[in-house]
Amino acid sequence: MKKSLTLQNRRRARTRKKVFLLLLPIIIFAVLFVYYPFIKTIVNSFSLVNAKGLIRGFAGLDNYKYTYGRKDFIMALKHTLTIAVINVPITIIITIALALLANKKRKLSPVYELLFTLPMAVSMSAACMIFKSMFSPSVGFINYFFGLKLGWYESQETALAAILILTIWMGIGFNFLLMLSALRGIPDQIIEATKVDGISPIRRIFRVQIPLISPTIFFVLCTNLVLSMMTSAPMIIIMGVSSSASATNTLMSMMFQSGFSSSDYGLAAVLSITAFSLTLGFTILSFVFEKKKVHYQ
Amino acid sequence: MIKRKTRNLIQDSVVSTVAVFIGLIIIFPLIYCFCGAFKTPHEFLTPNLLPGSFAYLGNFIEAFEKGNLLRYTVNSFIIALFGTSIRLCFSILAAYAFAYYDFRFKNLCFFLILGTMMIPADVLLATNYLTVSRLRLLNTYIGVMVVSFVSASQMFMLRQKFKSVPKEMREAAQIDGYGDISYMVNVLLPISKPIITTLFVQSFIGLWNAYLWPLIVTASSPNMRTIMVGITKLNSWEDENYQLVLAGVCVSLIPSLILFILMRRNLNKGEMDGALVG
Repeated sequence: MKKSLTLQNRRRARTRKKVFLLLLPIIIFAVLFVYYPFIKTIVNSFSLVNAKGLIRGFAGLDNYKYTYGRKDFIMALKHTLTIAVINVPITIIITIALALLANKKRKLSPVYELLFTLPMAVSMSAACMIFKSMFSPSVGFINYFFGLKLGWYESQETALAAILILTIWMGIGFNFLLMLSALRGIPDQIIEATKVDGISPIRRIFRVQIPLISPTIFFVLCTNLVLSMMTSAPMIIIMGVSSSASATNTLMSMMFQSGFSSSDYGLAAVLSITAFSLTLGFTILSFVFEKKKVHYQ
Repeated sequence: MIKRKTRNLIQDSVVSTVAVFIGLIIIFPLIYCFCGAFKTPHEFLTPNLLPGSFAYLGNFIEAFEKGNLLRYTVNSFIIALFGTSIRLCFSILAAYAFAYYDFRFKNLCFFLILGTMMIPADVLLATNYLTVSRLRLLNTYIGVMVVSFVSASQMFMLRQKFKSVPKEMREAAQIDGYGDISYMVNVLLPISKPIITTLFVQSFIGLWNAYLWPLIVTASSPNMRTIMVGITKLNSWEDENYQLVLAGVCVSLIPSLILFILMRRNLNKGEMDGALVG
C-alpha cells in the first residue's frame, strides 16, 4: 500500500515536471509580451513617464486631462469612430450579398470564390501602396476613370473616404468566406421547405437565411469593430504621420506618432487605453444586443 | 421538366457571369498593380490601364537596386519562416499538455493563454518596443519575431485536434515503449499533418505581411527592414515614382498569393475550420 502511494506520488511529480516544461515557453512569452505590457500601459497612463520610458512619478489623471483636452485628439477620435461606424455595416452588407450570390455551387464557383477571397492574401502595406497610387491626384486611375479632379489627400473628408474604401476592400475576402460557410451550413430541408411553401426568394433571404446566419454576422460585426478601432497603418503609410491638428489621424496612428516620433509615452499610453476601452465597451454592447437579436439553432 | 432544366442552366450562367464580373472588379487593384509595374515612367503618366508591353522589366530592376529589395526579401523570409516554426513548436507543446495531462491550475493556464486573444497587439506596441529595446533586440531578427511567438488560436486548434485522436493510440504507443517525445514525433504529428500545414501556411502569410511592428523595431537600421516596410519607402511626396512602388508590391505579393491559392485549393471541409482562424 505504502509503496504504491509513493509510486503514485513519484508519477505525479514527474507529470508536474513535464507539464511545467511543456507550458513554460508559451506562458513566458504570453506574460512578457502580452500581460506585462498591458499592465505597464495602464500604469504608464497614470504616471509621469520620461522620454526613455521610465516612470518618474504618479500623475493621477493629468495625462488623461492633457490628452482629452487636445484638439487633435478630438479629431482622431472622430475619425476612428467614423471609420468604425461606416466600415462595419458596409462590410457586412457587401459580404452577405456576395455570399448569397456565390451560395449555390456552380461550375464557375471556384473561379469567383477565389476572386472574392483574394484580397485576404494582400498585406496592409501592399494594399496601401496600391490604393495610394490609384487615388493619386496626378497620375491616379480613380480620378481619371470617374472624371474627377479631387486632390484626395488634401482634405480630411476625401482622405477618410479613400481610407474607408481601402479598409472595406481589405475586409471583403475573409468575411465573405465566413458568410459563405455559414450560408452553406444551413440545412437543405429548411430551404426546400420554404420552396414548397412558395415563399418568394427575397422573403426567404430576409426571413430565413439572414436570421439563420445571424451568429456569423454577429461574429463579423465584433471582429470588424475591433479591427476598425485599431486602424493605423493606412494613416501612417498613405498620409504620413504628423502631429499637426489638421492631420488625418486615428487614435492608433496618433499613438504611433506620439510614442515613436515624439517619445511621449504617457500620451501614447492614454491613447492605447482609450482605444482599448472603447473597443471593449462596443464589444460588450454588442453582446447585450446579441441576446435580443441573434438566433442560435 | 426539360424546360425547367434549361431555365436553371440559363439562370446559373447569368449568375456566374455576374459573379465573375464582380470578382474582377474586386481584384481590380491587383490587376492595376500588375499592369502598372510594367509601365515605363512615361507610360505611367498616360491614363491607359495596360502597359505598352509586358517585357519592360526596368521597374523591377530599379526597385531591386534602389530599394534594396533582395535584402528585404531575405529578411522577410527568415523572419516568417523561423517565427512561424517557433510559434508552432510552442503551440504544439502547450496543446499536448492540455490534451493529455490533468494538473492543478489547468484551467487557469488555459485561460491565461486564450486571454491573449482579447488584447489587440496594437495597444501593446509602445511598451513592447521599450521591452525589446531594453533587451537590446532592436534591429535584430529575434526582435521582430519575438512578439508573435504566442498564438492562442493555433494552440486551441491543435488541442482540439489532439483531443480527437483516440486515447488508445497513446496507450498502445506507451506499451510499445514510446515516450512522450517519440509518441509526439512519430504518431501525433503525422496524424495532424493537414492542420499543421494549414496553420503553418497561414502563420507564414501573417508574418510575411506584418507591417507596423517590423517598421518600429527596424527603424534605425535600414538593412534589417522587411519587404513590407521596404516597399513603402520606395516613394515620397516629392518623388512619386509609382511604377517602382507597384513593381515592389508585385514582388512582395508573390509568396503570399502563391501560398494562399495553394491553401484554398487544398481546403476540404475538414480543414475549413482551421483555415478560418485569424
